[in-house]
Amino acid sequence: MTEFRFSASTCQVEGELVPVAEISLSPQDAVYFEHHVLLWKDESAPLSSMKTPGGMKRTLGGMPHIVSIANGPGRVAFSRDAPGELVVLPLHPGMELDVREHAFLLASHSIEYSYVRIKGLANLLHGGSGMFMDRFVTAQYPGLLLLHGNGNVLERTLRPGEKILVEPGGFLYKDSTVQMQAVQMPLRTGLMRHGMYLAEMTGPGRVGIQSMYVHHAAEE
Amino acid sequence: MNAYVCRYCRQPSNPSDPTCPLCGAPVDIRSEVSDSGWIEQPPIRDMARLEFGQSRCQITGTTVPVAEFALAPEDMIYFSHHTLLWADPQTRLGNKPLRGAWNRTMAGLPLIMVEGRGPGHIALSDNHAGEVIALPLQHGQQMWVHEHRFLCATGNVRYDWDSTGIWYETGQDQKDREIHYPMGQFGDIFTAADRPGLLLLHSPGNTFIRDLRPGESLLVQPSALLYCDVSVQVHLHLEYPRNMGFLFWSPRWSYRNIWARLIGPGRVAVQSVYQPPEDMEIIQNSSYATIQRW
Repeated sequence: MTEFRFSASTCQVEGELVPVAEISLSPQDAVYFEHHVLLWKDESAPLSSMKTPGGMKRTLGGMPHIVSIANGPGRVAFSRDAPGELVVLPLHPGMELDVREHAFLLASHSIEYSYVRIKGLANLLHGGSGMFMDRFVTAQYPGLLLLHGNGNVLERTLRPGEKILVEPGGFLYKDSTVQMQAVQMPLRTGLMRHGMYLAEMTGPGRVGIQSMYVHHAAEE
Repeated sequence: MNAYVCRYCRQPSNPSDPTCPLCGAPVDIRSEVSDSGWIEQPPIRDMARLEFGQSRCQITGTTVPVAEFALAPEDMIYFSHHTLLWADPQTRLGNKPLRGAWNRTMAGLPLIMVEGRGPGHIALSDNHAGEVIALPLQHGQQMWVHEHRFLCATGNVRYDWDSTGIWYETGQDQKDREIHYPMGQFGDIFTAADRPGLLLLHSPGNTFIRDLRPGESLLVQPSALLYCDVSVQVHLHLEYPRNMGFLFWSPRWSYRNIWARLIGPGRVAVQSVYQPPEDMEIIQNSSYATIQRW
């Protein structure tokens, strides 16, 4: 069991196969999340909802239209209901992080939440990362962001201009400074199938990868 | 002369390393043997390193482990394209066709393998919770592997496949007949052709190994058999309990057991995650099977 603090609240991460994040919220703190990741809560902890920008587009893209907020005081626990790891990302003021859709578990209220539409037709059709990425931005206050990665999560920091090719379903998060684009490899993957798309990440910045991924081609 | 032999991969190894450099098994633990003779294959520790040729492989993670290769210019590995997690752009990727394209396509097996050549880094993941099993193969050594368990192999390991020959048929009349393959329709056979090689498998759940003496037999769930020496013989074994009690009129056949009967000599390995065979209908015909009616 690992415990850490953010603002005036504490968070405990329990379990190894399908980990749970249990937050003890102080009265002045709040966290927001997609409502289906809520595992249990104190009866007294108030819940409210936060409307997200770009409503209809998000709904069409399969993203949550309304994000829930839990306010302190009280205890609330979250789990993504899949084997994997929780990635704890403390964000300093002035940071921007892009996250694969449906990977975000919770964020503290000081973090701004928006979304980025994935650009380029090749990225959209062959990227396997969906239509949108969640973008988390800290302005003048630090914050805490928790993600759920399927399987194990690996992080690599790219130097400026350094590239890495990633299975698109394995992409979990990146600094917004990292550029992502789909590239076609000169490989055959079956009798009638030609080409295989990988996500080319170009530094500088961090890239997070999950080892149990959504395989784009296998779902077709 | 190095006298230490790893108790898991059975190859001469280095006892001064924390893990066996050939298969990644811990060196500093006692072998734990169950009363029936099974040894649990210890999971490869996070960040354990394996060595082959001039290259290295590092296993990272324990839930859905990743095999990360640092390939030297003269070394090559091959794998199915859907296990590729990431690669350096300078790593040379190409195709490796396999024989029997039509049958492999019909059986849902990968048709074309991807070759990765050094220098560069490649990381592979099977995308399911489980363990990576490293099998160093000596020159000429062969291993039978359950289909869909192959993760990758070094370039000098030959990849063949053959029908398992384990099947049974259900259905009341000709048009309802259905053939079931409880061990899969095909099995993979890997051979270290001209020099020692490395074979990596993905095992769902935990893995247990056992050595069968000549003539010794064992019944296992057919889909749990992960790999075995090619000297091990396998056939069906059907077991029917004697007293069905109040279920004597039931058309369900869920009380019977469909086993794979393994006969030594040789090493066998089972995985703890398996899918029991379908058992709703009477068996009309089957491959060679021994039958026990209690």
